[in-house]
Amino acid sequence: MVPDLRPKLAFVLLLSVCAFVLSWQVLTLLIALVLLLPFVLPTYHPASPRARRLFLRFVLFSVALSGAIITLNGWMIQSGEPVDTILGITLYSGGLLFGIQTASRLVLLSFSVLLFFTSTPIPVCINALQQSGLSRTVVLMLLLTLHFLDTLPERIDRIFVAQEARGAPVRAGFVSRTKAFFSILSPLLLSSMAESVDRGVALELRGFLLETAPSFHTLPPAKPPSPVTVLLLTASVLIVVFSLARWLFP
Amino acid sequence: MKLSEQFTKETSGAAIPFIAFCIALNLTAGQITSALKIPIYLDSIGTVLTAVLVGPLAAATAGAFSNLLASAMGSPTMAFFAPVSIVIGLFTGFLAQRGWFKRWYTVVLGGALQGVIAAICSAPISAYLFSGVMMAGTDFLVLYFRSVGNSIMESVFYQGLASDPVDKIITYLIAFILIRNLPQRLTGKFAGASNIPSRSV
Repeated sequence: MVPDLRPKLAFVLLLSVCAFVLSWQVLTLLIALVLLLPFVLPTYHPASPRARRLFLRFVLFSVALSGAIITLNGWMIQSGEPVDTILGITLYSGGLLFGIQTASRLVLLSFSVLLFFTSTPIPVCINALQQSGLSRTVVLMLLLTLHFLDTLPERIDRIFVAQEARGAPVRAGFVSRTKAFFSILSPLLLSSMAESVDRGVALELRGFLLETAPSFHTLPPAKPPSPVTVLLLTASVLIVVFSLARWLFP
Repeated sequence: MKLSEQFTKETSGAAIPFIAFCIALNLTAGQITSALKIPIYLDSIGTVLTAVLVGPLAAATAGAFSNLLASAMGSPTMAFFAPVSIVIGLFTGFLAQRGWFKRWYTVVLGGALQGVIAAICSAPISAYLFSGVMMAGTDFLVLYFRSVGNSIMESVFYQGLASDPVDKIITYLIAFILIRNLPQRLTGKFAGASNIPSRSV
């Protein structure tokens, strides 16, 4: 059973639309809501402990980054009244407001995208894409990407250690290190291409490339969108229309 | 030829696993550069390799999925730049099909052109969606250009022009060096075998 991801995607879309049209005060409330959701709604629980760590790390990073964005803009964009002087740096109101609006928009956009991905394992996303009509070539490509994402870091480490043992200057000067870079990337590319050719032959032998290829994994057709999805999409469209109308007829 | 037919033609046999490898390479190449302490990003090396060895549509697909997966892996803003990766894939594939990856100087010129195009494509996204703040070191450059009186759009565009051509020339040259040293036995299995120097053995 493939979970219906459309309400989640519609929610991310609604948050993204809000990020562009609403003031920073409303965005701050929405950011707080997004931060609460993983604790309140089971749909938005992080899919794994790694996803939870990723989300928390990104939240901490965002707090630090928002502070930096607001301070730097307040310092470097010298419009409006001087607000305060900290350590000899004068902050201006225009720059500070711009920094707050930018930071809140960036944080809400980032959090909403991350909320979707941390609560949805990538294989579930791929299944949902297949159910929505994505070609089996692309689905296979994505599944193989997951395989390579799992194995590549280990393979890079192994080549790195082997080349270092052979005397490649991986810790010498900049020019030597740049040369060593090719001694790592070349075998990596070569071995992966050889593996690709082998896998390609295996796919052909199994009839994957035929137009009437046998299907080993059939998913039921997608159901019509739920009322929640329709409601969220309608809200997104209404917000966009209202904002456009306000911009055209101030 | 229809786009779907062109895509099917490009992604036959070994191409599917190779594109998957290239998407993963886009996401993990940083591991090599950080281990060697080389100050380059290489976040589009896989897209360029796909464009040359497989074709433009496959490269556009690889670029788009690289950005979406990067979003899923902790860089949420990357998803919004998927259109830029699609343009990079299409343009590199276009150049490769016209023989620009057979000589080093056309590779350098192509990289510079690609850098300018990437700057033009990414500037509106960066300016209108993120007000020029991208959670990267280049944000300081944007702020500098803003502080000397430029608009957000101009600042982001100048920042792109300052950094993108250099990054893309390096990426193109690395891809060129890697590809020209590959054995023909392997490159011959891909649709773009004729795009690369014939002296490969």
